[in-house]
Amino acid sequence: MADRSQATQGDGTVDAGPAGPAKREPLLRTEGLTRRFRVGGMFSKEVLHAVDDLDLTINEREIVALVGESGSGKSTVARLLARVYAPTAGEIYYRGRPVRELRSRRDVLRYRGEVAMVFQDPFSAFNPVHRMSHGIIRNLALHRRELSGEERRREAERVCESVGLSKRMLARYPHEMSGGERQRIGFAQALALQPKLILADEPVSMLDVSIRAGILNLMVELRDREDVSLLYITHDLASARYVADRILVMYAGQIVEAGPTETVLSDPQHPYTRLLLSAVVDPRDADTDFSADTGEPPRVINPGEGCRFRWRCPYAIDTCQTVTPCLRPLGPVQVACHVAGHLGEEEIATPAVTETN
Amino acid sequence: MALPVPGSEIAGAEVPVGGDAPAPRATSRLRRAIRGNRKATVGAAILLLIIFVAVFPGLLAPDSPSAAVYAQDASPSSAHLLGTTQLGQDVLSQLIWSTRQTLFVTLLVSVIATFLSMIVGVTAAYVGGLTDRVITVIIDVFLILPVLPLLILLAAYLPPGVTSLTIVLCITSWAFQARQLRSQGLSLRNRDFLVSARVRGERGLYIVLREIVPTMTSLLVASFLSLAVYVVGFAASLQFLGLGNSGQLMWGTMLYNANQGAALESGNVWWALAPGAAVALLGASFALLNYAFDEIGNPALRRIRRRRRARPTA
Amino acid sequence: MPDPLLEVDGLTIEYLTDAADVRAVEDVSFSVGAGEFVGVVGESGCGKSTMLFGVAQLLSPPGEVTAGRVIFRGQDMVKLSAGELRHMRWRDYSVVMQSAMNALNPMKSIAAQFKDALQAHEKLSSAEIHERSARVLEMVGIDPAHLKSFPHQLSGGMRQRAMIAMALLFTPQLVMMDEPTSALDVVAQRSLMSKIRELQATLGFAVIFVTHDMHVVSRYCDRVLVMYAGQVVESAATENIFERPMHPYSRGLIDAFPTVTGPRRELVGIPGSPPDLAEPMSGCRFQPRCPVAMPVCAEVEPELYAVDSSEVRCLLYTDVDRLERRADG
Repeated sequence: MADRSQATQGDGTVDAGPAGPAKREPLLRTEGLTRRFRVGGMFSKEVLHAVDDLDLTINEREIVALVGESGSGKSTVARLLARVYAPTAGEIYYRGRPVRELRSRRDVLRYRGEVAMVFQDPFSAFNPVHRMSHGIIRNLALHRRELSGEERRREAERVCESVGLSKRMLARYPHEMSGGERQRIGFAQALALQPKLILADEPVSMLDVSIRAGILNLMVELRDREDVSLLYITHDLASARYVADRILVMYAGQIVEAGPTETVLSDPQHPYTRLLLSAVVDPRDADTDFSADTGEPPRVINPGEGCRFRWRCPYAIDTCQTVTPCLRPLGPVQVACHVAGHLGEEEIATPAVTETN
Repeated sequence: MALPVPGSEIAGAEVPVGGDAPAPRATSRLRRAIRGNRKATVGAAILLLIIFVAVFPGLLAPDSPSAAVYAQDASPSSAHLLGTTQLGQDVLSQLIWSTRQTLFVTLLVSVIATFLSMIVGVTAAYVGGLTDRVITVIIDVFLILPVLPLLILLAAYLPPGVTSLTIVLCITSWAFQARQLRSQGLSLRNRDFLVSARVRGERGLYIVLREIVPTMTSLLVASFLSLAVYVVGFAASLQFLGLGNSGQLMWGTMLYNANQGAALESGNVWWALAPGAAVALLGASFALLNYAFDEIGNPALRRIRRRRRARPTA
Repeated sequence: MPDPLLEVDGLTIEYLTDAADVRAVEDVSFSVGAGEFVGVVGESGCGKSTMLFGVAQLLSPPGEVTAGRVIFRGQDMVKLSAGELRHMRWRDYSVVMQSAMNALNPMKSIAAQFKDALQAHEKLSSAEIHERSARVLEMVGIDPAHLKSFPHQLSGGMRQRAMIAMALLFTPQLVMMDEPTSALDVVAQRSLMSKIRELQATLGFAVIFVTHDMHVVSRYCDRVLVMYAGQVVESAATENIFERPMHPYSRGLIDAFPTVTGPRRELVGIPGSPPDLAEPMSGCRFQPRCPVAMPVCAEVEPELYAVDSSEVRCLLYTDVDRLERRADG
């Protein structure tokens, strides 16, 4: 336990963030956040470890990227932070207070008014029978009760224009708008709350590439102009690099590496981060040869002890089979790996054990 | 193939936008859809005719339905287009005057049953868990309820009449669509816009009534229409079996009376046939509208009309 | 120069319905040589998938080829009968779809589906069927023990490999792929693409690869066609298009991709949306969104102009004065 709190303190002081001195209380912090689901029938013993023992920190006025592939649990993290479901274990601290303690409707609403969410699929994120203004107006009605009807309407127009759309868009129906426009309204909806944190769950994955730039630039602009933090969840390292101040790499429900974006991407310490990078850069530039890796999804059902990446890791040692690594500081970053810092010293050339399901 | 709609990504830009007008009102879209689809037009026409007859029976009926003053069991003639009953009443007038009550009961039961199945089905889907399982079992019980024995039981206790008829029909027909509406509710449950509503803090009831149900209007209309087909036929059957009050003016009671009066044996075919045909016609109108709504609602079912065009020479 | 394996000439595909006439693909011409890896790149609505389906003769009404020829092995496929096409399909060319779950039958084992595909085109004994199925799975890196598996038991990456294996059952000369890696994560994507390239080197088939991902194209394709609003706007060898993109759309598209390495620069993207193909258009289709549009671009529709070894559909690469004079007079 002491180990972990040291790690989180290390995280607070190491990452200065763009806002300034880091000794300020982080905006949001999780400790041992865990979410498990029982799969199979009512009597099955199979438990899916979607998120396991996760510690992350989000400071004010920063964009943190949570990067992982499918099955990494990143969307579950977003839903846990948005209180769509409750954690199986662990705690979320918002402004120092545990979120579990927020029980009255007033407290819960206050939290929801400060933590907003933007969804991945612009086609299903909006109710097809309501106009685009619906979500914005409802957000204002629920969370900014001091506004009159007329003021609400004007505020809706203001947030719409602040995301770069004409206020005429508010009267439209979702099917009359393009994907990019809908995502902007998604951000406008979030902004209507005047939130402190926006959880953006893969906001650009389903958009055309030429439109993504606009949304990514909007996110950076929101951080600077509206003083809001963003948790940018994605599987795309390149866009994470573009917007994020810090990057958290997730694998099989756990964070394996965390640190300032440029540092993590230019000098990755965890073998999985190296694998991800090797998949997007010129193979000649990669440090490690991952050519045998076929991208099989991680084992998250009853995973047991030990590092979950060990089956694909070219550097795995005996300890990796039995002891689950936890996030420890290593210079400017944090890594959850038994051999981090010593990669390449005794590079084991044997290929990873192939999975035959 | 969905084509992207041109729109402006930049506030106030001059890029021409696909129309500033708000989306066409639902009713005018509906009217256009009905006119475009032949089944819908026919079904709507029949239904409107029947509604007209129900609202203005006095304008159309040549006689009073209960005046038992004419020749008994008379064949159709210019004075009595459908003949007379055993008691000497004009069959056509009876038919016309029975329309109102028949239509009223049909619509009332359909509305109540649809509403019930919607509330139960959608709530079960939304709440989930143990509540959902319990409700599903209840729905299933009602679905497999043996109707006839139940009726006989109820007939013994309930006073014959329209109220009993309505109650019995509601009890036996609400479960019909509840399962389907529950399935639809389940498929919507994790749609992002519902999660979005929860995340912003909406209460459960609000979500069910204002977010889920409005997206199900086409399904609800379809439920209502298929239920109406069922109710029309079943109501008539129940009354034929004697559950209704024979004094009530409904097509079903006409059938009952015709049977009691040995219409077919005495050769008075029209007395039995007319109400039967009317029931079938009303049922058919609902069924046609139901097919048509399926086609309007589900583009995949529409017949794609290819234009006959000569291939341009390369 | 040897005859190309496939030659597409002036292909136009329209959706003819009572509601609207949509010309999804207009006047597309390109050729594919033996063993070439050609990429077709574009965003949603540009017509690339429709074009591929048109070439493969897989369009269903109301879509149809209304102009042009598709010459494959000396025959115009557009004019062939269903029977003749069936003979060619799978043996001479095959198609790999975007989502394996859409193309594979979830109720049948992999072995059964391979058997169906084999028997539809050739008479083989069960031993031969089994042998060929196992061999083709091994080629794509799947343990032949998975022949008895059902699609849902395989991971996404493995399913896509199984699809490719199925496409190679008769070792065709041309394999057409419609975004086969889009549904996969980046590591699986990389692995699959290497495998495809490896197979291509061994078996020598040509590939037409439709995608929206410029990175994949830059790494694996020999030549690239960029499509926009149903037309080809640029056609060039890969290194040329990435080092010196000529069409403003190609340039915008390449610049819209953020990079993991290299200097961080501001992403610009291309604001606006593609045109509605159901509406009549005049002039260049990209003009409303083009950062370097000239006044003449709104009136004159550019053709595909040859520039060195590439082709560009942009008025910047032709004598504009001559066009203006023609437009006026």
